[in-house]
Amino acid sequence: MRSLQHELRVLKKILRQAYHEKENLEVGEQWRLNVMHRIRRLGPLESTPNYLMLFEQFLWRLTPATCFLVLILVTLLLKFDFTPQYEVFTSFINDMEELSLVQLFGV
Amino acid sequence: MKMPNHPTRPSDEDIIRRIIDGDVNSFEHLLKKYQDHLLRIVKKHVPYNEVEEMAQEVFVRAYQALPNFREAGSFKQWLSAIAVRTCYDFWRNQYRSREFPMSDLSDSHRGWLEKTLSNQSDQSFYEIGQEKEARELLDWALDRLSAEDRMVLELVYLEGLSVKETAELLGWSVANVKVRSHRSRKKLERLLTELIST
Repeated sequence: MRSLQHELRVLKKILRQAYHEKENLEVGEQWRLNVMHRIRRLGPLESTPNYLMLFEQFLWRLTPATCFLVLILVTLLLKFDFTPQYEVFTSFINDMEELSLVQLFGV
Repeated sequence: MKMPNHPTRPSDEDIIRRIIDGDVNSFEHLLKKYQDHLLRIVKKHVPYNEVEEMAQEVFVRAYQALPNFREAGSFKQWLSAIAVRTCYDFWRNQYRSREFPMSDLSDSHRGWLEKTLSNQSDQSFYEIGQEKEARELLDWALDRLSAEDRMVLELVYLEGLSVKETAELLGWSVANVKVRSHRSRKKLERLLTELIST
C-alpha cells in the first residue's frame, strides 16, 4: 500500500495539470464585439484628470506618514500633564454655581 | 543585421494616446493584440461560464483606467494586473453574497480518485489532469478556500509565479503574499489529506 504522502504528491501533480488545462477551454468570438459595443457606449475618455482617483493614489502613499504623526501626537498627549487643566475646569464649574441671572445680564 | 520593426504598426503607447485623445475605435487594436493573453489568465481563475463576462469586464476597466497608465511600464503587465484583480473581485463578491454554489464531490468522483491513486490506470499525470474529474476536484478544493487564499494559491502554487510577481499583480505587499501562500498551501494539503483518508 502506498503512503499517504505519496498519494498527496500524486494528487497535487494532477491538480496542477488540471489547472493548466483550463486555459485550453474554448471561448466564442462574439465577446470581442460585445466588448467594443460596451466601450463605444462609454464614449471617449475624459482628458481632464480624475481628482478622486488621484487623491486615492496619494492617500495610501501618505498613510505611513499619517500613522507616524498620530503616534507622535499620542506620545505627546500621554506625556502632557492634565492636572492644571482639570483644576481650571473644576474652579470654573464651581463658579458657575454662584452665577445668577443678575450676574449674567447685569440686571 | 536586424530587420526594422513594422513601420506601419503603431506602438501601444501611440494607440493609448489616440484613445485618450478621443479615438474610441483604436481600442480594438489593443483588444485584438491582447485578447488571447487576457483570456488565458481569466480562464484559469474564474468558472468557465463566467469567462466571457469577466474578460469583457477586464477590458472595460482597462479602458476606463487608460488615463492612469504610465508609459514607463509594460501595457501587457498592467493589463494582467487588472485581469487578476478583476478575478479576485469576482471571488470576493461571490463569497460575500454566497450566490455561487459550492461544488461537491459525488461517488463517481471518489471512485475516480481511488482508481487514479491506486495507479490502476496506465495514464500519465498529463492525461489524467485533462480529465473532467480532475478539474472538478480542483474546483471542489478551491471552493473551500477564501477569495484571498484562492488567488494566492492559484498564482504562486499552481501557476508558479514568484511571490514578488504575485504581489505586483494583486497589489499586495510581499510579506502578505508570503504569509497567505504558506497558509493556503497548508489548507489545501489538509483538505486533500482528509479527502484521501476518507
